[in-house]
Amino acid sequence: MSSQSLRALVVDDMPVNRLLAVKLLAKAGWTVGEADDGPAALTWLEQNPDALELMLLDISMPQMSGQELCRVIRERKLGGDGVRIVAYTAHAMPEDAASFRAEGFDAVLVKPITRAALADTLTGLGLSG
Amino acid sequence: MSQQPHHPDPMRASAAVGPRTKTTWSIRGKLITLFVIIKVVPLLLLAWFAWQGQNWLALRVSDSIVDMFEDMRETARAVADSMEKKAVEALDDSARESLERVTTDTARAVAQFLYDRDSDIRAASALERDEAAFRRFLELRTRRIERHYPWVLNPTQTAWVPGPEATPRYYRPNAEPSVEDNKRSFSYRQPDERGVVQDRPLFLEMTFVGLDGKERVKVTTSDLTSPELRDVSRRDQTFVKAETYFQHLKDLKPGEIYVSDVIGAYLPSKIIGPYTPAAAAKRGVPFAPEKSAYAGTENPVGERFRGLVRWATPVAENGEIVGWITLALDHDHLMEFTEHIQPTNERYTPIYDAQSGNYAFIWDYKGRSIVHPRHYFIVGYDPETGDPAPPWMDAALYAQWRASGKTLAAFLETAPTFLDQSLKKKGAAEQVRDGYLGLDCRYLNHAPQCSGWMDLTAEGGSGSFEILWSGLWKLTTAAAIPYYTGPYGKSARGFGFVTIGANVDDFHRAATEAKKAADQIVAERGAQLQGQLTDVIDLINRQVDIIARQLTGSTAIMTFLVIGVAVWMASVLTRRITTVVDGIRRFENGELSRRLPVSGNDEMGRLAQSFNSMADRVEESIQRLKEAKTKAEEASRMKTEFLANVSHELRTPLNGVIGFAELIREDAETEDMRENAEVIEKSSRHLLELVNSILDVAKIEAGALSIKLAEVDAAEAARTAAVAHTASAAAKGLSMTLDVADDMAAVVVADPTRLQQVLHNLIHNAVKFTETGGVTVSLTLAANGGAAEFAVRDTGPGIPENMREAVFEAFRQVDAFVTRGQGGAGLGLALARSLVLAMGGELRLQSELGVGSVFIVSLPIAASRSAAPKMNVPATTQAAAQTAAQTTIS
Repeated sequence: MSSQSLRALVVDDMPVNRLLAVKLLAKAGWTVGEADDGPAALTWLEQNPDALELMLLDISMPQMSGQELCRVIRERKLGGDGVRIVAYTAHAMPEDAASFRAEGFDAVLVKPITRAALADTLTGLGLSG
Repeated sequence: MSQQPHHPDPMRASAAVGPRTKTTWSIRGKLITLFVIIKVVPLLLLAWFAWQGQNWLALRVSDSIVDMFEDMRETARAVADSMEKKAVEALDDSARESLERVTTDTARAVAQFLYDRDSDIRAASALERDEAAFRRFLELRTRRIERHYPWVLNPTQTAWVPGPEATPRYYRPNAEPSVEDNKRSFSYRQPDERGVVQDRPLFLEMTFVGLDGKERVKVTTSDLTSPELRDVSRRDQTFVKAETYFQHLKDLKPGEIYVSDVIGAYLPSKIIGPYTPAAAAKRGVPFAPEKSAYAGTENPVGERFRGLVRWATPVAENGEIVGWITLALDHDHLMEFTEHIQPTNERYTPIYDAQSGNYAFIWDYKGRSIVHPRHYFIVGYDPETGDPAPPWMDAALYAQWRASGKTLAAFLETAPTFLDQSLKKKGAAEQVRDGYLGLDCRYLNHAPQCSGWMDLTAEGGSGSFEILWSGLWKLTTAAAIPYYTGPYGKSARGFGFVTIGANVDDFHRAATEAKKAADQIVAERGAQLQGQLTDVIDLINRQVDIIARQLTGSTAIMTFLVIGVAVWMASVLTRRITTVVDGIRRFENGELSRRLPVSGNDEMGRLAQSFNSMADRVEESIQRLKEAKTKAEEASRMKTEFLANVSHELRTPLNGVIGFAELIREDAETEDMRENAEVIEKSSRHLLELVNSILDVAKIEAGALSIKLAEVDAAEAARTAAVAHTASAAAKGLSMTLDVADDMAAVVVADPTRLQQVLHNLIHNAVKFTETGGVTVSLTLAANGGAAEFAVRDTGPGIPENMREAVFEAFRQVDAFVTRGQGGAGLGLALARSLVLAMGGELRLQSELGVGSVFIVSLPIAASRSAAPKMNVPATTQAAAQTAAQTTIS
């Protein structure tokens, strides 16, 4: 992993979905960390205080929802000032996306994802590279 | 669903507030107007009628009172007049009777007196012819004469009044009834004699005249006649040189009697009427009443007329007449018969009342005045000549005499007598001036009563008439003196006649006084009544004013009261209606628990009851509806949540499936592996579509589907959709035909993405369920021109009638399709219908088993473009449509 590579954190309680995201990002050259729930993500962020470019947060997670995790990250300014937080969720109702944006997410990536969809989203956030 | 127009509460929409308020006011206003018309108008009319009646009554009463007053006054006046007239007539009649009686009685008394003198002369003829015998004879014959006490001029010298001796006798107290029982009509008269009574010889002288005319024996009783023996054959030797009796004596036979006329010296007076200093001054003569003729109350100190009437009869000795005996009657005794007669209620007077015109007087048989209160009126002779003093003539006769140049005696011998006597003639003013005013009726032509007296007495009768003399109506009577001895026997008039003159007014003075009193009473009462009348009319007018004010006031008050009552009654009557209407309005506005107060069992009460029960049911229904709605909403929400959860739960694993299938395909080392990965990927994508459809349905039902309406070229949309499925149709050996007319140019209102989604879904299904034949996509205009209709026709098996609605229902499986392993398509149709409805259009199905099905999407033509003529369709689209219209797209 090159030190110049982009860094991302994927938080999803479902291993398969977490793995898919990790793989797709890794294939695109990202350095990807992962966590299986909110507390674990916070722990990971405390242990890896380096700035991140991207976080993919699942919404429906045990112990701590993606929204709450997002709020905490924003409050504590974890992952760096320029971190983009994307809701990585199966909630596909239009009002869901709006509410996620309102709660601090920069983008919504609706499951199921494809490589193209992920690429489009990252491009939309200015993170293609 | 936000596009749908908002429909207000239907109940609220059904009743607007404005009209209801207007209706409420209107009923109340109408009631008030009705009450006012029913009550106020009659009230005003009644007031008006009452006012008119009052005015009419007041006018009538005023007029009637005035009329009554006038009538009464007229009646009183008429009664007074009538009474007076009757009274006057009665009094006049009575007075006339009385005066005529006095006149005739006096005339008879005079005649009797004269006849007694006949007896005297006969007795005298038998006497010794010596002085002593004559003297004894005369002394035995006397008669009483009353003379008044002296009168004097009053202090102002304007009238003669009783002197100091006379006064106490004229004014003496009246006797009073000494007994109560005699008080009624107690009438008292003063003694009639109030002067000095003298016993006077009847005769002035008694003579025996010899045949030669010389007086042989002569005795006188006064100094009036000469005591010397005279030759009476000579007139100048006789009394006042006027006696002519001697010439008649020779004709007398023994026993026959001669009676002469009244002979006396005429006494002139230059003043007629009261002899006062003022009158004398006016006449320009010295004031010397004593030297003028006596005139009773007008000149009580004047010189009295002295005269005589001579009786003569032959004295025979042995059948031979040796001479004549004569007796000269003192004229005063004749005068005494009338001097005290007062032809008024006084009856007698101590002094001849010349001034009042009420007196009695005597005329001789020729109509010469021989007794009169004004002694200058008594005819006499000039004692110097013995000729008759000129009588007072009327102006014309006097002028005639003066013009004739004759002596009076000569003129009068031939002068006409009683010539057209009339009040219009005037007495000769020269004679008045000279004071010669002896009244001889024959020449007194300005005194027509002379003719009247002569007429009355011509046959010895008596009577009366009225004449306007000196401005006064005077009753004048005349009665012949029935003494026919000697020359007096030549006419029926006898010695002459007594007349009485009296003011008519004096007779009926009582009546005229009564009339005056009555007039005064009438006038006073009239004035009083006039005052009362004025008061009454004022009262009436005031009353009219008061009533007018009261009427106006009470009418105004009544009007206000009536209007107030009308408003109150209208309010009472409409209050319940208003209450009901208000309650209904509140109920309509959402106060579902609002109920009307039920008061009474009348129509309003029953209306309220009915409304309340209806409201109960409505409230109950609405409550149920609300509950049902809540339940439905809850169910819908739960369904939506469920679908969202399903979507979420399906997407979560699909994420791994699709993602890793893609990774596998990309990283596949063999074609076989790549194909297998593709299958997995395709299948999972299909599953995702299903999930997406589920999600769309859920969105629609949650109201979360966003529809972005725009104007869409319908022909282009149809072509795009059809072309997209040409390949899959061809793969099944099916034709794909686009049937759009050349001139078909329609712009519909739709969400372009959703329209494509619908059309793709329908075409996809058509291709999928059709085994042989083909699919036709066509575009037409609806019959009414308001919509464009996309039709997707297939030649598939068709849909049974009982399934034609079910295919549009979400999650309903149509067995025939499912069992044939065609997969669920129901969800797609349900979604399609929901989308079309959301765009304001409709999705219809026409199907025939064994022939095929047609799904028709009808969308509204854009309002701004619908009227536009043929649209400019892009050339490519037009070409494609043309091609599609004719050939199968391949």
